[in-house]
Amino acid sequence: MASPSEAPVSASGTSVPQVSYRDAPPLITPVFEVGGLSVFYGDHEAVRDVNMTIGGRQITAMIGPSGCGKSTVIRCFNRMNDLIPTARVAGKIRYHDEDLYGRDVDPIEVRRRIGMVFQKPNPFPKSIYDNIAYGPRVGGFKGDLDDLVEETLTHAALWDEVKDKLKTSALALSGGQQQRLCIARTIAVKPEVILMDEPCSALDPIATAKIEDLMEHLAQEFTIVVVTHNMQQAARVSHRTAFFTTDVGAEGERHGRLIEYDETARIFSNPSDQRTEDYITGRVG
Amino acid sequence: MTSTGIGRRAASGTTGFLKRSQPRYVEKAVRVLLIAASLVSVLTTVGIVIALIPPAAEFFGKVSFGDFITGTDWSPLFKPPHFGVLPLVTGTLMVTLIALLVAVPLGLGAAVYLSEYARPGVRTFFKPILEVLAGIPTVVYGFFALQAITPLLQDIWPGGEGPQVFNALSAGFVMGIMIIPTIASLSEDAMNAVPNDLRDGGFALGSSRMQVATRVVFPAALSGIAAAIMLGVSRAIGETMIVAVAAGGRPNLSFNPLEGMQTMTAFIAAAGIGDLPTGSIGYQTIFAVGALLFVMTLVMNLVSIRLVRKYRQVYE
Repeated sequence: MASPSEAPVSASGTSVPQVSYRDAPPLITPVFEVGGLSVFYGDHEAVRDVNMTIGGRQITAMIGPSGCGKSTVIRCFNRMNDLIPTARVAGKIRYHDEDLYGRDVDPIEVRRRIGMVFQKPNPFPKSIYDNIAYGPRVGGFKGDLDDLVEETLTHAALWDEVKDKLKTSALALSGGQQQRLCIARTIAVKPEVILMDEPCSALDPIATAKIEDLMEHLAQEFTIVVVTHNMQQAARVSHRTAFFTTDVGAEGERHGRLIEYDETARIFSNPSDQRTEDYITGRVG
Repeated sequence: MTSTGIGRRAASGTTGFLKRSQPRYVEKAVRVLLIAASLVSVLTTVGIVIALIPPAAEFFGKVSFGDFITGTDWSPLFKPPHFGVLPLVTGTLMVTLIALLVAVPLGLGAAVYLSEYARPGVRTFFKPILEVLAGIPTVVYGFFALQAITPLLQDIWPGGEGPQVFNALSAGFVMGIMIIPTIASLSEDAMNAVPNDLRDGGFALGSSRMQVATRVVFPAALSGIAAAIMLGVSRAIGETMIVAVAAGGRPNLSFNPLEGMQTMTAFIAAAGIGDLPTGSIGYQTIFAVGALLFVMTLVMNLVSIRLVRKYRQVYE
């Protein structure tokens, strides 16, 4: 359930009593095709049998109660789960025509194309400039870094706020600015996809609105997948929404499951599964 | 503010349920004991400095400071005596430099491996073993240098004149081995304290493990790593037994690591266990060299603190 302070603020910061949903572009060019995806931590199957197709140049939201596996699933898309020694992924994720977990696939190459923004803003303890330049530098960028930094910050609507203090520490920025810097840092690598794992959960409503504006703007060029606890946010910014919840098995074991995945307007106005409706209307979760 | 029923009752008299259950002097006694414990090390340091000053001052009443610091001949116990401390200083610096050339790369390599590459099980297995190295008595290291490393170096030396029986190279090398655990263990702690958020950020931008280690974790842990190296340097400069056993006891103004040389600490030890009469100039040289050693480490520490402040990256 969203707190009342978040509910009336729209992406543009004005008060709207009713949400207008965004039209979902058709899924003609799928970016990810997920088939029978299960994720294990040790012996525990944290997520079971997820099937979904994620389209290009649109925002896909993943919502659901805590522990439903939505963060686990999003971390599969850029193989961040590889970094957890006990994690194991079964099933298929196709990224365009490539098997993301194929034998010859280099996770580093994957992460250059599929960037990620995290729950807590995590700028490096370096200057604003060096934060943006980090990705291009490790990727062997040969062009003019100054130009790239300016272009990237402008793109992320942060240039005017930071252009006079590029050499100061990124940690001197506010939380919302730090998170936008992290988004800018991600697009500096020129990925195709940006994954966002609850990008606004540590931010106040005004900073949240700015991030949402930025997401809408970036969706013209990038494919965005966002995990969020905030249903209003999903309703406001996303084109499609996936609802996850936790199944409790016969012996009390819990698995995250994808319950329903559809155009956002449909999920929020006319869901086909009772569990989705209960969650959307605030009866559970 | 309106007064409440509770407020009125507290004002009129107490039922006693808020009474202190432990007398206050216990808390005070604990506080005094803890302050005393923390003062011991401070007072010891101050005491040593105070004890160094009078004999050193007397020494500099007889020998000019300029002659002491620039003189190239150190033979304070001969007749006529010479008090040029440079051979001891170069000996100390030479051995310390060799030790650092060994210990910094190996120590930091071990730290990066344990913190960034090793699985948790490997880390818990290796770290205590590494720390055992720090527990070996230094005299054992000294004989290891003299009896194992020096003969080995002499055997494998490719042409020309090999190392002498007493030489700075094997003493410095073994001293480097000795301080590896100090540098590795403390650097590893510093790197391990860097939040995983930062590593995730690095990986998500397409960094390899090595890039995350060198470009994200290492700079963020720099102040801890510099402190680890400084502690290693201090141990190397102050180390006595290894150099006394393996580097010989002859002051030698030379930059050739294959020759024997005496360090400042080795001189202090050698002169200290001799039968120099208290108050004699020979006795006072010990304090003069000790004071110089103290000043050198102090300056080095101050400089490194400066440098670290300038280059470190503070994370929250």
